[in-house]
Amino acid sequence: MATAAVATTTAAVVALLTAAPSASAATSTFTPVADTYVQDTTPTTNYGTSSLFTVDNSPVRQSFLKFTVSGLTAPVSSAKLRIRVTSTGNSASGGTWKSMSDTTWSETAVNWNNKPVIDGGTLASLGSVANDQWVEVDVTSVVTGNGTFGFGGSSTNADGAYYDSRESGADAPQLVITTGTAPTPTPTPSTSTSTPPTADPVLVGAGDIADCGTGGDEATANLLDGISGTVMAIGDTAYPNGAASDYTNCYNPTWGRHKARTKPATGNHEYNTSGATGYFNYFGASAGDPTKGYYSFDLGNWHVVALNSNCSVVSCAAGSAQEQWLRNDLAASTKPCTVAYWHHPRYTSGSSHGSTTTVQPLYQALYDNNAEVIVTGHNHDYERFAPMNATGGVDNTRGIRQFVAGMGGTGLNGFGTIQPGSEVRDGTTWGVLKLTLHSNSYDWQFVPQSGKTFTDSGTNSCH
Amino acid sequence: MTTQPTVAAESDPNPSAAPRPSGRTARIATTAAAALALAAVAIGYARHSSSAQAPDTAVTAETVSLAPGPRLLTLTSTGQVTTVGKADPGGARAVSPTKCDRAYAAAGTVACLYADGALGTVTMRVLSPDLKERKAIPVSGVPNRVRVSASGRMVSWTSFVGGDSYATLNFATRTGIYDSRTGTLFKTLETFSVVKDGKPYQASDVNYWGVTFTGDDNTFYATLYTKGHRYLVQGDFAARTVRTLRDRVECPSLSPDGTMIAFKAPVEGDSTRGWRLSVLDLKTGRVTETAETRSVDDQAAWLDGSTLAYAQQHDDGTKDLWSVPADGFGKPRLLLRNAHSPAALG
Repeated sequence: MATAAVATTTAAVVALLTAAPSASAATSTFTPVADTYVQDTTPTTNYGTSSLFTVDNSPVRQSFLKFTVSGLTAPVSSAKLRIRVTSTGNSASGGTWKSMSDTTWSETAVNWNNKPVIDGGTLASLGSVANDQWVEVDVTSVVTGNGTFGFGGSSTNADGAYYDSRESGADAPQLVITTGTAPTPTPTPSTSTSTPPTADPVLVGAGDIADCGTGGDEATANLLDGISGTVMAIGDTAYPNGAASDYTNCYNPTWGRHKARTKPATGNHEYNTSGATGYFNYFGASAGDPTKGYYSFDLGNWHVVALNSNCSVVSCAAGSAQEQWLRNDLAASTKPCTVAYWHHPRYTSGSSHGSTTTVQPLYQALYDNNAEVIVTGHNHDYERFAPMNATGGVDNTRGIRQFVAGMGGTGLNGFGTIQPGSEVRDGTTWGVLKLTLHSNSYDWQFVPQSGKTFTDSGTNSCH
Repeated sequence: MTTQPTVAAESDPNPSAAPRPSGRTARIATTAAAALALAAVAIGYARHSSSAQAPDTAVTAETVSLAPGPRLLTLTSTGQVTTVGKADPGGARAVSPTKCDRAYAAAGTVACLYADGALGTVTMRVLSPDLKERKAIPVSGVPNRVRVSASGRMVSWTSFVGGDSYATLNFATRTGIYDSRTGTLFKTLETFSVVKDGKPYQASDVNYWGVTFTGDDNTFYATLYTKGHRYLVQGDFAARTVRTLRDRVECPSLSPDGTMIAFKAPVEGDSTRGWRLSVLDLKTGRVTETAETRSVDDQAAWLDGSTLAYAQQHDDGTKDLWSVPADGFGKPRLLLRNAHSPAALG
């Protein structure tokens, strides 16, 4: 990522400088040579390759940007720092932005413990910022010519603001410099020389998530900071009881910052609160009808189904409302590929919970409609199964690949007897499962918590 | 397991996914592929040669018999019933297609606690030495412990019916006992009367796990949980009573001579920190920690009067069988890879 970003910078500078001499007033746009953030609760973690940077006061996060300006041949008349709020990064406070004299820090080495001091004058104290908004900060007082310039952001607001970093590509921060004395047109957002290909949609997440007694959900939420796409929260989202206070105290401070892009499914712990009202109130319309808890949507070429596997509350039986809805929903889908997720695994080798046969009719409906993937949780571990039919058999022709992704943050558990079809397991690493949904195939990737090494990845075609 | 399938799997670098090589790239790709192939061979060789020293034994077509004899019953990580020679666990391993999640055998009675993942049923299967079913008792929960008395008469089992693990306080277990001579069946001990610290005791949070039987086929030991305490209890099956003996003793396993109990001792009294495999002398009350310093979450089995066997789990859930002297001396020894749920058949 870092190499690619440098190349983009060079290309942009060359293109702009080539055009510059022909005008009396010229505009040059630079992208950062480095941008990153640090976080107080992870004092030795470096976020240099993250696709975003953030300012926040809970946890405390500061961002640093560095631009190298070169090739200017006329005095600077205007300099503007432009940063773009991520698609879900809105906040009541966009942070306080200052210049920095220290430009020696390294993007891939800086962390909370060794961070540079934000020692310059205040350039802007931003108010609320909206999703996808380009925020402009006048930095003319700082950027007076060629050289390297640093900027630092911080916030006193516990509602963090998130911005696209240079690793995000087209939405990378910009330093827009106008030279000469002629009236300057308002700079337009970056005009890239080639339109980047539209990325395939990503569905990323895990189950068994927010537990105030562990640091696991902090670790996995940090992973999500660097992964764009739709977040699947696959049940047991807030321990111990899915109560409103569990969401306020445990879920919201971590995975909560990805709530706007989260499509949840309910687990059993949600129903420790009658009717799972804590869950449905917290997620609102995203969680579907509170009397059902199942719904579907589309992502690119994929149909995505979130189901309610609390079958004693919302029946999963053949002929039940949920199973009939699922069959109708799948029949109506025009997408060539299908992924479903719910909490209780049809197949698992986990030591705490056995295979859940009550969801078999849901699995069967998906199998009958040629679905590709099912993601579940419930056991606090990661497990990948071979493509299977609904009755326990490996089926490499039509089978559905089922994952257990219960490594979202609560305490991890080991395994009992390893079940038929089980291909990969890990019971000691928090992480998220990232599914990249191509037009007629998918990639899966286990993304481990910072500092851990277990991973798992692969590709399958759609049926 | 034979090493051959492992080698085959390792040597398949998914060639269909590799780009079609051409020109200079082709040479590099070819070299890389060759290196991969060599690496695969090397891995295969390493595994094969290591099996000469480490006890990852070859499978034989030999019929599995769980009749008394100088053999050791274990389950593979996928649950298959196997035996190896007790004196030579690294030797030939007989593997049965019969699966259990937890097994134990004594005097011709085989207890096989089995969850059928396809059907969703859990059954306490009592089998003959040649693995024919004699009795099937429906059980709920996740299989966890099983034990047979030395005479083969009494069978006990424990399953998790709620919660996650013994490490937390948020779980529920169910422990049953079956008398194969009289047919008496208690699917839960929670109806037994409890005497705690000398007084009758009742609480809704009582859970039992990990029964071990004495030689009289009536007296047994087990763990009783209530209000944060994990007591060693002594039970009287005929009288349907248990009484507490001491705190912080889990998963007892009575020595063949009935004088010692191997158990899991919560590390510094805190089960969330794991367990130290320890031995209690019933006469003196003295506790000896074994030389196994890693946490052991198992109901250990006595291989003889002085040696304990227990499983350790890898990150991926596969299990190895280890042994350690019961007297606190010596050191842990790897007995058999891909094995757990041990029982010495004689």
